[in-house]
Amino acid sequence: MFFSEMTARDAFKLTKKKMTEYQTEFLERMNAIEVDAHWFRRVFHTFAASFLIYYFLPDEGWLFAIKRCTIIGILLVLIIIEYYRFRGDIKNTRFFGLRGYEQHRPAGYLFFGAGTVLLFLFFPQQIVIPCLLCAAFIDPLMGEMRFYFGKYNAILAGFVVSLFFFSITWYRAEWWVIAIVAVAGGTVVVLSEAKKLPYIDDDFMIQILPAVLLLIIWQGFVGIGVDILPETMILPL
Amino acid sequence: MKKQQQEAMYALLLRLELWFAPLLILVPIFVSFFFIQDWYVRGAIMRTSRYDGELILGLVILFGNLPYDILFMKSIRSLKRKKIINENATK
Repeated sequence: MFFSEMTARDAFKLTKKKMTEYQTEFLERMNAIEVDAHWFRRVFHTFAASFLIYYFLPDEGWLFAIKRCTIIGILLVLIIIEYYRFRGDIKNTRFFGLRGYEQHRPAGYLFFGAGTVLLFLFFPQQIVIPCLLCAAFIDPLMGEMRFYFGKYNAILAGFVVSLFFFSITWYRAEWWVIAIVAVAGGTVVVLSEAKKLPYIDDDFMIQILPAVLLLIIWQGFVGIGVDILPETMILPL
Repeated sequence: MKKQQQEAMYALLLRLELWFAPLLILVPIFVSFFFIQDWYVRGAIMRTSRYDGELILGLVILFGNLPYDILFMKSIRSLKRKKIINENATK
């Protein structure tokens, strides 16, 4: 049918039908992607535990410089990408799994990357390992638990698993040290995950807050002449 | 024309993410086996407990990742299935 032969009513009906079809198709696609992005985000979190392979590289000579420069370089790349996203040169639609509220503030991956780089640069391995494991596994665990079993069960589960991570990574320390570190670390991990801040992502807080607390505890004990830090878990190749 | 370009770019992005998925799944498994292998070679064979921590970390990384990997792969499969159903429905 040519346009001239169509009545205004037919044209309106056809337009409405096409718009409905497009909207349905678009919503279906968005729903499918949203489901996929949900697990994509979770897997991205758990993937972060692999960064611990960093400690297999020796801290000697040029290898030390290379590994430090590499992680700083990765962080700089993330900052540049975010800079261009904010400027609008890179569209938000290019970022798979980006949350709605992250469109007008730095995205979670930048906070996660910044937290991890700070951990690797400024904290000893014994503190970094449990904090990174918590960031990798507690965040998705609490997210899922909150959805299926409610907020309080999520906090409880997060706390128990955090206790487990801090205990197994400090297993070479004295039992009372393990108890202090696990309870203090686990509490801060759960608090930093449960309490959402408007401008700083929990991916950053969940790594840095327990690390700072453990650093203070460790240095406090060093101040009174007791070194509570156990041997390193990962020995370089 | 512009809409078609956008659609093509969108499809390409989705495909890229699906290609990126194996990396997210395989790297942690590789790293966990690397930890376990290192514990076995330097620790178990040499009969020293200094490397037991690597075994623990290897197992944590492996068993921490597996449940999420399975659910992620399931979501990709269901996404593909939905696509096939939609394609068949439109034919």
